[in-house]
This record gives sequence, structure tokens and C-alpha cells, in this order.
Amino acid sequence: MKQILVVDDSATMRHMVMASLHDLTDVDFHEASSELEAIEHLALAAIDLMILDLNMPDMHGLEVLKFVRGHHNYQNIPIIVLTTRGDESSRGATLEAGASCYLTKPFEPGEIAHRADSLLKSFAG
Amino acid sequence: MSNSFDDDNLFAEFCDDYFAECEEHLTIVRRGLLALDNFVNQPQVASSLLEELFRSFHSLKGMSGMIGVKEAEQVAHEMESYLRALREQQVILSQAGVDALIAGTKMLEQILAMRQSKQPAPDIESVIKQIAAVVVATGAGTSAAVNSSAHLTLKPAQIAQLNAAVQSAKQVWLFEFTPVSTLAERGVNVNKIRDRLQQNGELIHAAPRILTTGGIIFDFVVASDASESIFASWENDGITYTPFELNSPAETENSALSPNTVPLLQEEGSPTLGGLGLPRQNSLPSAAPTTSNVVRVDLAKLDDLMRMVGELVISRARLEDNLKKIETLVPVTELRALRETNLTLGRQLRDLRQGVMRVRLVPISEIFARMQFVVRDIAKESHKKVTLELSGQETEIDKFLVERMMDPLLHLVRNAVSHGLESEDERVRNGKSPQAKLVLRAATAGEMVVIEIEDDGRGVDIECITAKARQLGLIAADATLDINKALEIICSPGFSTREQADLTSGRGVGMAVVKNTVLELGGLLTLDSQPGEGTRFTIQLPLTLAIADALIVKAGGQTFAVPLAVVREVMEIQSLKVTALENNEIISYRGNVLPLLRLTRLFQLPVCSNSSMAVLVVGTGSSAVGIAVDRILNQREIVVRSLTDPFVQVPGISGATELGDGRVVLIIDASALFQLSQLLIFSTPHHPNATNNGNGAKKQPQASTFFC
Repeated sequence: MKQILVVDDSATMRHMVMASLHDLTDVDFHEASSELEAIEHLALAAIDLMILDLNMPDMHGLEVLKFVRGHHNYQNIPIIVLTTRGDESSRGATLEAGASCYLTKPFEPGEIAHRADSLLKSFAG
Repeated sequence: MSNSFDDDNLFAEFCDDYFAECEEHLTIVRRGLLALDNFVNQPQVASSLLEELFRSFHSLKGMSGMIGVKEAEQVAHEMESYLRALREQQVILSQAGVDALIAGTKMLEQILAMRQSKQPAPDIESVIKQIAAVVVATGAGTSAAVNSSAHLTLKPAQIAQLNAAVQSAKQVWLFEFTPVSTLAERGVNVNKIRDRLQQNGELIHAAPRILTTGGIIFDFVVASDASESIFASWENDGITYTPFELNSPAETENSALSPNTVPLLQEEGSPTLGGLGLPRQNSLPSAAPTTSNVVRVDLAKLDDLMRMVGELVISRARLEDNLKKIETLVPVTELRALRETNLTLGRQLRDLRQGVMRVRLVPISEIFARMQFVVRDIAKESHKKVTLELSGQETEIDKFLVERMMDPLLHLVRNAVSHGLESEDERVRNGKSPQAKLVLRAATAGEMVVIEIEDDGRGVDIECITAKARQLGLIAADATLDINKALEIICSPGFSTREQADLTSGRGVGMAVVKNTVLELGGLLTLDSQPGEGTRFTIQLPLTLAIADALIVKAGGQTFAVPLAVVREVMEIQSLKVTALENNEIISYRGNVLPLLRLTRLFQLPVCSNSSMAVLVVGTGSSAVGIAVDRILNQREIVVRSLTDPFVQVPGISGATELGDGRVVLIIDASALFQLSQLLIFSTPHHPNATNNGNGAKKQPQASTFFC
């Protein structure tokens, strides 16, 4: 069973992300509504994939990314970063900080499912 | 799904959630925008405020994009851009900027409302242009990401905040929380801990830290004046604490910008707050991140729950009646046990009822926040300077009442600003401050909620109302009006002293709607006014409509229930003490005269000649009346069932309830009786039966004004 952590302060958005990943088999979802909570989940469960809202307002997404990549236990966890139109300029910084891939909302459900699937497979392999 | 408008969209099923969450964000935004007003033309806006607004627009934008509400996405995007420019201090917040944000917010509300009612979206072009105009194109490409290290260097700001806290005699603590699965299972997670700390003090710093063992703990630096004993009890929840000193190891580790320690939160700690002398209440409570603790419940489910509690109340009343019947048959000791159980049951039922009621309550600030927008708009349109004072925002009111009261309150507020308050010139001429004042107050008084709308304007012009009422034939040519009667007149349908309706108010239907709604909800509308000094409308509403305490009374062989909330006093009166005055009866009451209203006479019931009677005093001051009944049986909880069939609706009766023995009794609508008494006292006194038949009375022009 693969563990996927969905981090977004909007519950509706988390549900949408999980709905998009509905077709993935053998996965279990964890939800976090704040950055601290996301890190707590990392510490408590063996997370296989993190989907992180970049949430530009507080820079929290980016800080979480840096924190996770700075920890030797978690530095290889694949992370899909989500952001919205207008934040394209952060793309470089995000990828540099260690995001595995970068999607802009609104995203195609199929696309995020495909990315998640391939990231989960490559991480396992 | 009721709201799905695009079946092709995978996310259509999230529509209800989407609308609900948008509403939450818009509530935060509305509150935030008003606080933003204080920062117009200031060099810098409190960052916590900007962050919160930004976060909400960001979520609105993201969700709208996913759901496919392109217009909302676009508007939120423009607003976010402006906020970003503000945050990066590329522009200074201008009045035009605040106006644009408000226009944008209104547009978002409109788009969402249209979408919800499946109508085509409004035209957003002009709003987009308005917002875009205030965003200074920077082109500098200062993506926020580049500034990411700014958060790491914000440390001095936190130190400043910390020093300020120490100076205000607060103790600064370092809390460490180690997340453990067993704790998480108990629901003790880092969000809870953070909330708990924030409730007990000022959160200065919150960040995760990696231990040398690879484990993760969270550091929180909190300034608090709470006693240490409170923290001690938290040790079971994995929290340890030590007094925090600036040169303590954790701090130096942080300030060394170790890549392992990233301060994630600076929410409350913006140094600009103090610098600009911003009052504390302007730093907004961080409502958004904690919404995960909130459960959304369909109001219909709560109605069901209340109905079930109501059935329980009736069953218990039945139990009590049955208990009385067997009193003589059961040994005293057994009877006592039974009675105690019954009493306990009664008390627990009351708790249950209050618990269910509390679930339905929402703070009135929800209404007040909207009023602020309205006042701002009308004041601007009519070129008046108005300060709005709010008090009792935390007062809670039934969700159903909030929805029903929104329009009436909007009307009263609009009226107050556009008619009640004078223009700036006029105020100055009359020796008043040019800055007009409007006060919205709310408070809970027993089982009632009292809402007051008070202005310091010109007051109600009774002369003018009298003249107009005569002209419309609402009152006799020689009749004069007092303030209560004036209120009746203002509230009659079609009455307006304005010669021409303007955009915001003055169509003459509004006050009738206000009065109607308040009465329908079992409330009371009163008016106080001093010429030249101001006007105050007071609305009293019952906290909840479904279950009420009531006096069970007997009149002319019939049993009635009178809701206790409206009864101010109960007296025993000798029949001899009643004085007949033309067609009315009065008694002396606390040195004043109290008009008496006999239920037997109102409802044409057989009169029994007792030497004494019970009088229930309703209403206040000069508008009080006494309702005379034969006797009072007891006091009990009743479940209100309204009479919805128009054929059985009778003025003076608000509904029916079932007593424990299965008998159905009618519930007296005290405020309608109060209106009836006004009719009897003030109008031509020659048709004592006019009130016996509601339909008949309504045909007469003057009567219609009393059920307005």
C-alpha cells in the first residue's frame, strides 16, 4: 500500500486532488492542512509521495520542500508541487529546491494521476 | 448533486463544498478588507493581514479554476496580483486600490451566486480593468520565490516581537512537541498543539527541527502570561517546555540559518503591527487554517434534530402527568425515586435542547461584516462621513434568523445612512460633528437576542409622518401621533415620506418588510427617537423558534400557552381595581396606567366572573399592556408548531402545542396582541369585535396598518 500525502489548506482542493488520483490502485491518502502538519505526517508515516500546494502567500510550500530535502530520511521522496496561474515565475525556484514535478491549477485529473503513478513506480524502483 | 452544472467535470461533485468554502473565504476577505482601510497611503500594510487575504484569494482562485468557474478564477487572480504587489512593496495601498478590491470581492460574490442559481456569469470586464489599473506593472520579475530567504532573515523581527512581549511582562517559553503515532491517534497533532499555544499566548516562532537521530520535533516560541501550571498538564500530550532566553541553544541554532531549521510561520509576529500603532483587533484571527475542525451540517438535519428533541420534551411532559396520576397509588419512597428520575430526565433534556440549539447558533458578526460594506458604499454615494461602531459581534443567533434578518437589517442600515443621517453641511450648521455615527449593537438578554441600530442623525420627524399619514388617510385628520404610533405608520405598506424613491432606499415597502419579518420570527420592533439627536431601532428576537418556555394559562374555559420570553411580569389583580375608560380597561401599574387586554374578550370566550385575575405584562415602558387571563396553571417547555394553513391563521395566535396529556393548546402571539391593543387604544373605539375576526378586520384600511 503506497502512502500519498496531500498538503493544501483548502479541504475542497485536497478532495479534488484525491478524486483525481482515484484510479491509482493500492494507495492510501493522508491529508494535511498546514505545513507543520505535513511534516508531522512525514515523521509518523512512511510517505511514498507528497503532493504539495505551493501556496505562495506564506512561502510555506517552498519551505516545506527545503526542509524535506534537507532531511536525509526524506530527501528522496517524490514531491509534486501544485500552484496556480501567475506563479509560473516560481517554477525555477521550486524545481531547484527539489520538486519532482510542477503542475499548475487547474490541472487535468489525468495528468496528475499519470505523474503520480510514474513517480510512485520510479521511487519504488 | 444539486449544484452540478457541468457533468463532464470530474469535480462537479465538489460543487457544494466549493461554494461553502468560497463563502468561508469571502467572510475572511470581507473582514480583512475592512481592516485594510486603516492602511491606505501607509508605507506598509500589516503583513499578517496581507498574508491572510492573499491566502484566501489564492484558494479561491485555485478552487475556481478546478471547478471551472473561470470568471471567479480570473477576478481572484487579478486581486491576488495586486496583493502581491503590495506585499512586495512595489505599490502603496491607495484608496482606489481598496475600492478595487471591494469591487472585486462583490463581483466574486455575484459570480458565485449566479453560478449557484445556474445563471450565466456577470460581465467581469470592468472589474478586471479596475483592479488591473491599480496594479502597477512591475516587470521586474520579482517572483516571490526569489525572496524566499527573506523569511529566514526575519529573525530580528521575531526578536523585536519577543522583546516587546517581555516588556509587557509576559513570560517567553520554548515548547517542544514530539509527534508520536499514539498521540496522533488521540487527535493530538501539531495543528492542535499550535492552536492550543496560540490560545494561551502570542506565537512568535513555529518550526520543525531535525534531531541528530533523524527524528523530528517542533519548536514553538510563545510569549504568554498564562500560569506555568497550565503547561504542566500538557506533558501527557508530548509537550515539554522551558523558559526561553534569547541566547538559548535552540535560538542560536535558528539564527545560524541552519538549513535544518526553517521558521515556517510569522503569522502573528509581524513587526509592522507595532510600528504602525495598529490596534490589536486588526490582527485577524487565523480562521482559515483551522477550518478543519469545523463540520458543515445541512440546516434541515438540525431542524430534524430539534424536532426530535421536541417530541422528547412532549413525552417527558406526558411522563410527568402520568406520574401525578399514580401519586396516591405508589408508596412514598418509590414515588420519590421516580420523581427524582423524572427531574433528572427533565434537566438532561433541557441540556440536550440547549446543546442542539447552540449548534445552530452563529455569531452575528456574519451580518455585521456585510453591514460595514453597505455603510461604506452608501456613505460614499451620498457624500457623508460615517463612522460605524459595532458592539457585541460575538453575540450568537440562530442560523435561520441570520438568513431571515439579513434583508431587514440591511434596510434599516440603509435607511439610517441615507435618511437618518444628515449631510455634512447640515450637521455642521446644527452644531454637530461633521462625522456622523452609526452604531450596531447586539446582545443576548435571557432567551432573547437584542439588536440595535442607532444613528446620531436628525431623528424621526413625527410632524412629517403625521402629515403624510393624514394625507394617505391612515389616521383621522385630527389625530396626533406618538413615537409608537409613528412606527406603526412608517411600517405600513406603501408609506414613504419621500416624494421620490432613490436607489438605496425610499420605496416605502422596506419598513413593512422589516416589521413583518420581525413579527413572523416572534420578535418585537421598537423605535426611540429624539428630534435632532438621533434614532434607535431595537429588534428583540427569540434565540430559537422551535422550543420555548411558556406559561400555561386558562381563560374562559380554554387553555393557552404564552411564551415566557415576552412576559415581563405576572400579577394577581382584583377585578375591582380595573377601571373602565370608554371602551377600554386600564389598571394602575407601578404608578402608571396599564391598558388591559382580556383574552376572553379578544377571542369571544365565555366570561366567568372571578373576583381576581392574573395579568401578564408584555411590552416595555409606555407601550406595555397587560393580558388578562383567568388563572395561570403552570410553566413548562412547549414545542412550537406554527399554523401554516392561511385558513386557520388568526391574529393573536402564533401556533399550537401539545401538552403532556395529548391536548392541543393554542400559543398566544404576544407581540400581535400588543399590536391589537394599539388598535383598540388608538383607533376609533367603536368596533370592539373588529379584532375577533382577522379577515374581516383586514378589509378595513386602518386595520391593515396594524398587521403590516
